[in-house]
Amino acid sequence: MRTIAAALACAVPAFAQSAAPTPQAEPLDVQQLFASTCGWCHSDAGRVAGKGPQLMDTQRSDDFLRNRIKVGKPGAMPAFGEAFTDAQIDAIIVYIRALKPD
Amino acid sequence: MMKQPKRLAAPIALAITTTLVASAALAQTVDTARIEAGGQNDWLTYHGSYKSYHYSPLAQINAGNVANLGVAWIHIPGRSTRGLQSMPLAADGVLYYSGSYSRVFALNGATGEVIWSYFPELDEALVARQTHSPYNRGVAIGEGKVFVGTMDGRLIALDMKTGKLAWETKLLDSQKLTVGFTGAPLYANGNVVIGAQGGEWPGRGPIFGVNAASGAKKWEFLTVAGTEEAQKTWGNDSWRTGGGGGWMPGTYDSETSTIWWGTANPAPLYDWSGGDWKTQGARPGDNLYTSSVIGLDVDSGKLKFYHQELPHDAWDFDSAVGEFLMLDRDGKKLTVHPNKSGYIFVYDREAKVQNVWRITENSNFVKNIDPKTGELIGRRDFTAGKVAEPLCPHISGGVSWNSGSYNPKTGLYYKLGQEWCMTLDIVKTTPVVAPQAQLNIGANFTIAKPPSGEIYGHLDARDPVTGAKKWEVRFPEPPLASVLSTGGNLVFVPDSRGTVHAYDAENGTELWNHSDGTGHQGGIISYSVNGKQYIAITAGFGGMAADDYAPTFGGVYKSMPRDDGALIVYSLK
Repeated sequence: MRTIAAALACAVPAFAQSAAPTPQAEPLDVQQLFASTCGWCHSDAGRVAGKGPQLMDTQRSDDFLRNRIKVGKPGAMPAFGEAFTDAQIDAIIVYIRALKPD
Repeated sequence: MMKQPKRLAAPIALAITTTLVASAALAQTVDTARIEAGGQNDWLTYHGSYKSYHYSPLAQINAGNVANLGVAWIHIPGRSTRGLQSMPLAADGVLYYSGSYSRVFALNGATGEVIWSYFPELDEALVARQTHSPYNRGVAIGEGKVFVGTMDGRLIALDMKTGKLAWETKLLDSQKLTVGFTGAPLYANGNVVIGAQGGEWPGRGPIFGVNAASGAKKWEFLTVAGTEEAQKTWGNDSWRTGGGGGWMPGTYDSETSTIWWGTANPAPLYDWSGGDWKTQGARPGDNLYTSSVIGLDVDSGKLKFYHQELPHDAWDFDSAVGEFLMLDRDGKKLTVHPNKSGYIFVYDREAKVQNVWRITENSNFVKNIDPKTGELIGRRDFTAGKVAEPLCPHISGGVSWNSGSYNPKTGLYYKLGQEWCMTLDIVKTTPVVAPQAQLNIGANFTIAKPPSGEIYGHLDARDPVTGAKKWEVRFPEPPLASVLSTGGNLVFVPDSRGTVHAYDAENGTELWNHSDGTGHQGGIISYSVNGKQYIAITAGFGGMAADDYAPTFGGVYKSMPRDDGALIVYSLK
């Protein structure tokens, strides 16, 4: 998993300074993203259930995951559709699919 | 002939009662002097009074008759996403409270009848992007207005009698910062004071002072690098990663015109500096004024004093708990403040440390905190990678952001402690200086059992200055809500499973309990209308601490809603 994450991490996203966050085209370091943003709810970097569901071995489809990341779930998960591009969201899904027990 | 007047008596009495309630609400103004005096029938500010005791002197409901307590009325606010977390207020027979999405209600305190309601129009797309949202933790009242903050960065004033908008002031650019206001404002001396969210986000955690009459912003204090002295404590310009915030209301010392406020942690929450945190890592230095208790002049916002409870907080055990017990003990004026870590700080009225004691059994982020100086002894500073020994307490804290209760009749402080830990894998992250991805945590983690055995919570009855324990009641899962004690020798604890417990304040014997049907994580107050005492409790579960309960404890939490809530009001049957 860490090898794949490292391969995705070609560059670090330059975060938007505009009033409303706008997606950046750069590849995403998903491992870092989990440690900074996702991991509070998706425990152990997505490997076990926490506030949010376990992501490792999820039976959800790519379309479901893509939609959930974009629009979130009221009161449970923030919407990241304005933060990430489709390509970045695809990278998050690749990370999830590659998750193995630590 | 004799029966005729009797038949008329009931409607006439009802009419008179209604008029009295209505006229009482019109007759009196809530101002600083009245909040200071803390009239026994009312609950005029978040912490009950500026003394922050969360105590009601009412004694009609007491240890002798609490077995006869029953539900008087219920109010359903609707749209209780992440439960109901606010502290109701009561003035002149009217109850004021807020629900999720900053919905505000004024209710007849005796019947629950809705007098008015106000649902602010919010930027829903912004709210959907937020993490610590959409709950609201309470309103303030003063000068004939009800004040509430919104998640899109506004402070709103409503006419107390009609609920009509008096003014609204945009204080935060929430589109840019992502965060807004979820904490209750504090009314004091013509000012409304409110602090922004901010512990995990790039931002400078401002606290605002606003003119209560006009809504004009008077001052803004930056909890992150708000002075030249403070800026020097953030190496490599790391103040840009920010944090701070004062997301719970503090209190007011009228003798010195000082606002006491607690501030949140710096970001990222976890640092990889190891022991070299003064010069290395994500944010080299003390990171003032995060995880601190600060004293601000109420009219100017000028910093008068501070004590940083956790210099370079590397554990997210911040000081944002807004509870400041203002005690007079043996001629000394003291202020008692719980830190999220479970250490309780006792200060003089200029935040000079007088004592420090701990409410939790499981704690290892430091070996101890020096009770004379407040200095951290044997702190654990992590480097990148897996942390061998679990960190205690868990990120949800040794104490909740909710409040305990000090009872001046027993001299005891009733406070909940939480026993839980976490495994931790520290990850060196790239500095986050703009709130695109919002949080800035710096680790992966999982909740864990403490070394002493199972996770649990406990209500302690202690001396607030020395920490000496008189009695303790244990709960299988940590209760998260606020505690109330009363002049009736009672302590009320609304627990996480959904049961409200009443204990004998002297010895902790359970005297009564009742199910509210869902978990508690908000406020509890007592007030009186027309000579009758009521206990009002907010029920409804969900949020950053509560969301861990279903996967951790299972049982009743598996089916417990996290989008529901009710205000439940009790009186003697």
